[in-house]
Parts: sequence; structure tokens; C-alpha cells
Amino acid sequence: MPLTHRTVDRLGGTATAPPFPALLGRLLLGGVVAGVLSGIWQLLVTERAISPALALEEARGTGTVEDSGEMFSRTTQLVGGFVGALVAAVGLAIVLAAVYAALRHRLPGRTDGSRLIVLTVIGFAVIALLPAVAIPANPPAVGDPDTIGTRTAIYGAVLAGGIVIAALVAAVVGALRRRGTDHTAVAAAGTAVGVALLAVLLLVLPGTPDTIPADVPADVVWNFRLASLGQLAILWATLGLAGGWFVDRLTASPARG
Amino acid sequence: MTSSPYAHPRVAVPRVAVPAWAWALALLALFALYLLAQDNGAVLAQAGGVAHELFHDARHALGVPCH
Repeated sequence: MPLTHRTVDRLGGTATAPPFPALLGRLLLGGVVAGVLSGIWQLLVTERAISPALALEEARGTGTVEDSGEMFSRTTQLVGGFVGALVAAVGLAIVLAAVYAALRHRLPGRTDGSRLIVLTVIGFAVIALLPAVAIPANPPAVGDPDTIGTRTAIYGAVLAGGIVIAALVAAVVGALRRRGTDHTAVAAAGTAVGVALLAVLLLVLPGTPDTIPADVPADVVWNFRLASLGQLAILWATLGLAGGWFVDRLTASPARG
Repeated sequence: MTSSPYAHPRVAVPRVAVPAWAWALALLALFALYLLAQDNGAVLAQAGGVAHELFHDARHALGVPCH
């Protein structure tokens, strides 16, 4: 296999490690693209799922200050929401750059693009999908202000637990590979350890303390959760695909970089 | 030695030198993400209230717990 490795490395341009500032720049570009795309999704899809919830709050007359538009008009909040999505994507891209640079030599894949996709799929699973299962997102009109501390703590614990589990699975897979274990057996062992640990995490952690108020229709909550998960999927997929594409341009032709 | 193409990734892929400022920048970005996602001005008090309302929809959309 060494020959294959060398050939692949030349094609993939991975023979020398790219300098971190260049890597950061390319991933920031990917972050901007991801932020714009997820922001557009937010304006076109997620906001449409938020609207009926805001109407419910208004009808109830008990909407909290931030939803009644007292400080900002709805239009300003829509713009703020887009900017928020963009800032979140760029912030994630900065963190992703440091983590990717540190883990690059350990990630499977022949090119930076494929390695980055592996990392962003893990990121989506741990930071978006796992919380969506353990403590699902809710539109306005659902959350109880008195339990925000508890819910934030559970959310933080889910994130921390997910990151620890990802690290443990990576450690098991890495250890088995170093022992030369068969590839299929490594995949099976990694999957088994990951599933077992995730089951423990989901069983141990309490669910949300809130109950969804009776006046909130199920489809309002369902549509919002789908829209939110779709937005997170676009965010992470674009970070991996666009970011990886930009980094591949860098490593394939450093002269033009 | 082994048939797995993944068995010796370190041989094929050199490490990226990650400078200390990369981690400082990542921490700063994490703090900014926390401020974006934070609950009701826990850190910034009044300014947090403004950020909270401005970024309200993004926080809901990103699935962070909210009021």
C-alpha cells in the first residue's frame, strides 16, 4: 500500500501540511458561504415556521418582551436573525479550523475535502443532531422562562457528552487500527462503542422539563423542528463541502493559493 | 504489514503546525458563539438584552434553548 499512499498524496496534495493561516482563511470563506446559505434558509423556511408561533404568543397576550417587537421591529429581527446565522457560521468555521488543523493527520480521507467532510459530519452529528434528539428545538410560545436555566444546562451537558463520546470512539478506533485490526472489525467496534455510549447518555440525561402548551398545535412545533434541523444540516454540509473545496484548491496548487 | 489503507495515517499525512494564537482565536469564537446563544444577558446585562432580541430568531433556528 505505500505506493498507493504516495500516489494519492501527490494527487491530493497532502505531501506537505498547509500552513495554519492559509487553512483558516479557506475555512473562513467556507464559513461565509455556509452562513449565507443557512441565513437564506432561515429567512425562507425557518421564519415561516416561527411566524405562527409568534402569532400564538400575540394572541395569548403573554409573549415575552423579545417576541412582541418592543425593542426591534420584526423586520429588524429578520435582518438580525440572518446576521446571527452568518456570525454563528463564521464562529463555527474559526473553531473548526483549529480543530481540523490539529486532527488533520488523524482523519481518514485522501484529500482535505474528504477529511473535512468526515469532521463536519461528526460535528453535525454531535453538535446538531444529538441535541435535536435529546432536547429538541422549540419555536417561540413553547419555552417556559422559569426552566431556561435547567434547559440550558441539559443542552450543555448533551454537547459535552457528545464530544466526549466522539473522542472515546476515535480513541478506540485509533487504538484498534494501530494494532492492525481488520477494517471491518474496527468499524463494527467503533459503531458498537458509539451506540452503547449514546444510549447511556440519552438514558442518564433528563429530558426537557417543559410540556408543550395545549394551545400550540403539533404541526407548529413539528414544522419548526424540521426547519431548524434542515438549517443546521445546510450549515454543516456547506462548511464541509465549500470549506473542503476551498482548502483543496489551496493544497492542490499552493502557487495560486 | 496490514491490508488496511488507514493503518498508518501518520506516515502519509504530516501534521499541521497549530500556533497558540489559533486556539486563542478559537476560544474567542466560542465565546462569541456563547454570547450569540446565551440566555437573557447573563454575561453582558443590558447589552446582552439587545443582542438577545436582535439575534432572537437565529437562536431559535439553531436549536438553542430560549425563554
